[in-house]
Amino acid sequence: MKNFKYNWIAIFISMLILTGCSQDFLTRAPEDAITDGNFYKTDAQVMAATSLLYNRVWFDYNDKASYEIGDFRGGIAYNPWGQQGYVRFNLTGYDPDMIAGWNSFFTVIGQSNMAIQNVNKYAGAAVTETIKKEAIAEARFMRACAYRDLVMLWGEVPIIENNQKLLNDTTISKNTISSIWKFLTYEMRSIANDLPEKAYEKGRINKWSAEGMLARFYLTRAGVESVGGVRNQQFLDSAKYYSNRVITMSGKSLLTDYASLFKYPYDNNNESLFELQWVYSTIWGVSNSTPAYLAYSSDIANGDGWGGSIGATWWILQKYEGINAYGVTGDSLKGRTLDQRLKATFMLPGAYYSEISQSVKTTSGKDSIQRLIYPNNTADNTTVAIKKYICGKAADMGGEASSQHYPNNTYMLRLAEMYLIYAEAELGNKTQTTDGTAMSYFNAVHTRAGLGAVTDPLTFDMIFNERTVEFAMESMCMYDLSNLYYYNPTKALSILNSQDRGLFAAHPDVFPNPTQWIFVKTAWYTPANGDYRTITATTGNFYLPIPTTELAGAPNLQKPAVDYYSK
Amino acid sequence: MASAQQNISVSGVVTDASDGSPLVGVTVLVKGATGGTVTDVKGKYTLNVAQGATIVFSYIGMEKREIPVKNRVINVKLQSDSRVLGEVVAVGYGTAKRVDLTTAQSSVTTKEMEKTVNTTLEQALQGRAAGVYITQNSGQPGGGISVAVRGVSSINGSTEPLYVIDGVQIPGSQVSYGSTSSSNPLSGLNPSDISDVQILQGPSATALYGSRATNGVVLITTKRGKSGDAQIAYNFSYSLQEPPKRMDVMNLPQYAQMVNEYHSIAGGTTPQEFLDPSILGNGTDWQKELFRTSAMSKHQLSLSGGSEKSTYYLSGEYLTQDGVALGSGFNRFGIRANLDTKPRKWLKMGLNTSFNQTVEKLSSSSEDVINNALQLTPQIPVKNIDGTYGGGDLSKPEDKFAPVNPIAIANLVTNNNTRRQFMGGTHVDIDILPGLTFVTSLNANLNTQNSIYFRPTYSIGWAINNTATMSDFNGVNTYYNLNELLHYVKSFGKHNIDLMGSHEASEWTYKNNGANINTFITNNIIDVAAGDQTTADLNGSGHGSGAMESYLGRVNYNYGEKYLISASVRSDGSYAFGSDKRWGTFPAISGAWRLSKESWYNISFMNELKLRVETGTTGNQGNGGGIYSSMSPAPSQWGTGFLPSQYSNPLLQWESTKTNNVGLNASFFNNRIQIEADYYHKVTDNLLMSAALPAYMGTQGNGGLGAPTVNLGSLQNNGWAFTLISTNINTKDFKWESNFNISGFKTKILTFNSGVKSIDRTSWWMGNWTQRSTVGQAPWLFLGYKTDGIFKSVDEINNSAVPVDNNGKRLPTDVNNVWVGDVKYKDISGPNGVADGIIDVHDLTTIGNPWPLFFGGFTNTFTYKGFDLSILLTYSYGNDIYNYMKMVDSNPQQINIGRNLLTSAENYARLVTDANGNVSISNSGTNLPRITYSNNGNWTRFTNRWVEDGSYIKLKNISLGYNLPASFISKQSFIKSVRLVASAQNIFTLTHYTGYDPEIGSYVGNNASSANQAIGIDNGRYPLTPIYTFNITVNF
Repeated sequence: MKNFKYNWIAIFISMLILTGCSQDFLTRAPEDAITDGNFYKTDAQVMAATSLLYNRVWFDYNDKASYEIGDFRGGIAYNPWGQQGYVRFNLTGYDPDMIAGWNSFFTVIGQSNMAIQNVNKYAGAAVTETIKKEAIAEARFMRACAYRDLVMLWGEVPIIENNQKLLNDTTISKNTISSIWKFLTYEMRSIANDLPEKAYEKGRINKWSAEGMLARFYLTRAGVESVGGVRNQQFLDSAKYYSNRVITMSGKSLLTDYASLFKYPYDNNNESLFELQWVYSTIWGVSNSTPAYLAYSSDIANGDGWGGSIGATWWILQKYEGINAYGVTGDSLKGRTLDQRLKATFMLPGAYYSEISQSVKTTSGKDSIQRLIYPNNTADNTTVAIKKYICGKAADMGGEASSQHYPNNTYMLRLAEMYLIYAEAELGNKTQTTDGTAMSYFNAVHTRAGLGAVTDPLTFDMIFNERTVEFAMESMCMYDLSNLYYYNPTKALSILNSQDRGLFAAHPDVFPNPTQWIFVKTAWYTPANGDYRTITATTGNFYLPIPTTELAGAPNLQKPAVDYYSK
Repeated sequence: MASAQQNISVSGVVTDASDGSPLVGVTVLVKGATGGTVTDVKGKYTLNVAQGATIVFSYIGMEKREIPVKNRVINVKLQSDSRVLGEVVAVGYGTAKRVDLTTAQSSVTTKEMEKTVNTTLEQALQGRAAGVYITQNSGQPGGGISVAVRGVSSINGSTEPLYVIDGVQIPGSQVSYGSTSSSNPLSGLNPSDISDVQILQGPSATALYGSRATNGVVLITTKRGKSGDAQIAYNFSYSLQEPPKRMDVMNLPQYAQMVNEYHSIAGGTTPQEFLDPSILGNGTDWQKELFRTSAMSKHQLSLSGGSEKSTYYLSGEYLTQDGVALGSGFNRFGIRANLDTKPRKWLKMGLNTSFNQTVEKLSSSSEDVINNALQLTPQIPVKNIDGTYGGGDLSKPEDKFAPVNPIAIANLVTNNNTRRQFMGGTHVDIDILPGLTFVTSLNANLNTQNSIYFRPTYSIGWAINNTATMSDFNGVNTYYNLNELLHYVKSFGKHNIDLMGSHEASEWTYKNNGANINTFITNNIIDVAAGDQTTADLNGSGHGSGAMESYLGRVNYNYGEKYLISASVRSDGSYAFGSDKRWGTFPAISGAWRLSKESWYNISFMNELKLRVETGTTGNQGNGGGIYSSMSPAPSQWGTGFLPSQYSNPLLQWESTKTNNVGLNASFFNNRIQIEADYYHKVTDNLLMSAALPAYMGTQGNGGLGAPTVNLGSLQNNGWAFTLISTNINTKDFKWESNFNISGFKTKILTFNSGVKSIDRTSWWMGNWTQRSTVGQAPWLFLGYKTDGIFKSVDEINNSAVPVDNNGKRLPTDVNNVWVGDVKYKDISGPNGVADGIIDVHDLTTIGNPWPLFFGGFTNTFTYKGFDLSILLTYSYGNDIYNYMKMVDSNPQQINIGRNLLTSAENYARLVTDANGNVSISNSGTNLPRITYSNNGNWTRFTNRWVEDGSYIKLKNISLGYNLPASFISKQSFIKSVRLVASAQNIFTLTHYTGYDPEIGSYVGNNASSANQAIGIDNGRYPLTPIYTFNITVNF
């Protein structure tokens, strides 16, 4: 009996030992996702690793910061009751939308760097060299675009080419503006060499996207490297060279009708060089959310439409040909314009849009749908609402829309800009030009909008105004001012400081089917009431403040900027 | 006849049998008669008794003795009651006599817990155990709770303890992200089924749970049957919960007046109907509309008993609770069967099983209705005349931003979270040799969760939802744990040895599926099948698993129960680390010396004195996954695209906490007073946390790279805990017992590895309110500016530091920048560490501390005949609260977005200009800034102005019980006993805090996540409110 019990002990102790688990028991990679080391094994996987660099990583910038910074801060549009940091040009480092922009640009940079390194590190034998080269060039292109926005908005920022090296490094400094632009033009030239003329898939960037971007970069760098307000001629010439190459060799062409650039579906049309590629999905972060905030009412939206108080500024309206000062008090404008860009960019009371559905109540109080007629309001302050990028209800977009989720793309570079870059580069440091190519390129854009050709010599102001009207609500104006600020800060600031950003009302002569409008500044909206019409832009607030939490968490950003190439 | 018998006087001395010391205050009674006495300071008593009567001697902590009167002098020796000192308590992987413990361990018994009204287990622990800091995150029924045992042991990870429920190990989790974040994962447990809770605090006790024990271990033992007659008990309780005290927000005339004043100063048009406030009615009182008196009821039936060889405990429960706020509620049913049997002399088997289902209504929290009720303006009706819900008017600019009618939303939005849980285990104990037992046990836990979120179509003023949306989330998770254990106990002479060795393997899995769909034909059928199928998509799907393998052993040795020593070691292998870093070893050793057992010990009034010392290491493995970077998919123009989800860290390793602890246990006057005191010093190294990377590392945006999980730095906790249990009065009919506990801790961050000085945690959904962890300080202090009140004059501005523009230049002194009536900030520092005359980021400092200096509970129980009265006070001292709700609702600019304000907002700084053009403030006592859009940041900078003292003493519970007298019950044989209890909970709070309730736990809401859960900020959280309960228990 005693032996029997000792056997028990032996059995149990051996059980204790034998039940030790195998090594596999404790090895558990994620089971519902592929890990980085197992990815990048085929051409398709490598390209799938860059496809989200066209949407998701840009989302937080595109969401609100894009128009708030580019258009509100630039003076194209305003919201009298909100987003005052942009409208009044007094942002603080706490502004959540500005922080979202900062975060987004660095997300683009971080994920682009990660794509470059992972493709180099993990790409398998089955991946072709050309695909590797194309994917890496795409990532570098995205990184360069994010840096272009960062340096133009914030000034000095740190250049990061390898995030993983910095995981435990808190010493990185900002880089000087001049060295960032050197980096950007170097990069873009190399990217242009690496990208194929025909992209892997439609909508991806190709060689012409890179050359177009290079033209833009050179035009800017000419200002960055200006001496005494005189732009660098070599870079002006390069801008001219590359813009001309894209105009003449890319096979791209201007769409005949300006409005159709923004009528759904317009994505990846023949004027487009680079777009953020939004898709309709209920997943947060891959669709275009901007229309939710800009559409003036839920009547034309999809449960969103929160832009009821967002509209064109007085300043942009008086830039359209045909809308002129009226009376002598300086507080009224009147007129109509042949410029089709006004209707395609902003909604005037009575304007009719056949492509957008509008919920209305019939006289008997029933809900009904009609083609959009932007309503009239007799109040002393009204909104000239945003039209550009607003494509209506799901029914107007093939069912592909819901609240804050829209499929329509965001232009990042389109051919029209090449024409205007050429004209500006040709004008260069001269006060005016009558160069035939420059004139014809300028007029290509000008007449496409429905206006007559310009015959007077081109001046800077003409080109600047053309850009303002052509690209209004495409997040361009503040960047254009930044361009100018590099070589003529006084002028950039004086443009900003002379803009009228106050309340006004727009009245049609008849409703519906108006033929012209009268715009009247709101009488009670005066500085005496604590209101204002103009802002104070100075060298102190021209650039955006680095987010406060970022400065607190990374005090190294307070160190003086260093030349990226002098290390 | 008894009356004929002669009374005689009996006297004597009552002494302690163990040492002969006199016992003071022993109750001396005549059995079956009235009258009695107590012993004096020398242990003497004198009593007149009838001859032949029996005298009963009773004393707390001693065995009762009954002695028939035969002599006139009766000297009595009382023995220690082994049920007190010999009490056996649960410890890790076994049990131990309480006197033999060498570690800090506090316990809460079912008797104590049942005094308070507890929907969930953790509520029952609050105020009961020293060293355990419990705050309720939300007063929502079934809502989550934060439990911190012995301070803060993690910066970003969970600080919740490990719960071991009859062997099932459940790591406490803080919150889940999204619409179910306010729910509580342990809410399925029926507190009535619990017989005993042991909170392991000392390193020697917790180290046996190794890698999951850094935050303490809560051992929960459920009730089991006892052999004997079946006990049948039915319990019913009914409670009424009262609405919270009303926050003083403006009524309609007050609001209209404020709107007029605001517009006259800041510009803008006052709506026509507000122009003459005097003619307006009071308008809607949204708090009154939202809050209600609500009911809670609970039925509980239990059956227990058994034979010599087999015992059983069976129970069933049904609880239903409505919340005081619309859109909240909780119900649970559960059943339990615990069985034990001993079929052979050498074999024991046990089984415990439970099943429960909880349903939580969460829309009041997920839709933020309480905040909206405070902020919605009074001119908006709950319902319009036509019966539709009232809401902001689209034609008014300010109304477009007004909150959506919270009554409507609470009624319309469905957010129900249903959980079903099966938990159980079985074990087989085999006696191999005398003293040697082999135990094998298998414990398992299966949870399913279904959460339904449905937002119907509605039209509430401007808020029009044309598309109904729904999400349906299902999750299943499993856990099992297989353990084999050898246990050997041997005593020879005065040597007592207890050895234990064990191997354990556990594995857990989860699988989630979520579906989103929208566009419903009707709002009445809430199912994915009823939506527009073309809009359906998957969301939140995933699955995964984790595993751990452990070897553990323990040696306990004591010599004559005088010198005690315990040593243990556990080795854990975890899936969370790469193969090089996989195993972690967690040793501990502890010793105790019972001085009172020494022959030379002669302190008569202190019958027990034990000194303890212990040291040990525990660990933390985090949540796994840190060594990999998975590719996160999302739709792109060209099919599914992938981005790396995070920076991986293949070098990740164990976090470890070394704790040293000294403690003592002492009992006085034969256990009439017992104290337990502990002091500890804990150092946590290799803190596992998400690296705090700047946003320039691409970690903050949508599609960004998650920060790597790293071992970042170390922190220390010094703390103390003290418990005093006493029987203050003990007479025949009346008894007064107290239990007082107090504890405190001080957490300090020692280092962050990468040289980072501080880590911020920002709540972007609350205006970027930020908490900061800085080396040398406690974690998560509030970050902000200090204020010096309000600028009173232009001169004062010109002589003070003021904020700067983007260029670092002083803002000008004018109405649009810095002006009289603006907030004056303190110039704390500059780029060189010295005050520089301007206000900028260098002046950000810590303005509040969410951690208390000390906290605890105080229970007094009075028993008089069949009545008993219990009073529980809980308290916390020294913690700060950021009153975010008050800050937001005091800001007049809220008028622009159609929000109501607290009435105190009327006291904004009113400027007057005298004949000389000097500007001053007419209501000079105010500390609220003027109405302005100025650049001074009056309402955008967080300041100590809104930091309030969160100290409180709360009358947590008062309950009065009555046992129906046996004489009354014995008239029938069906019912054995009846107990009635009336109680009131949360009825009175002594505090300076001006919000609803100073008991602020962690932030719960749609945006909370375990890595970013703000602590100590009150954003209008669901408050705890008074509960009045009637309870009846009938034993058959």
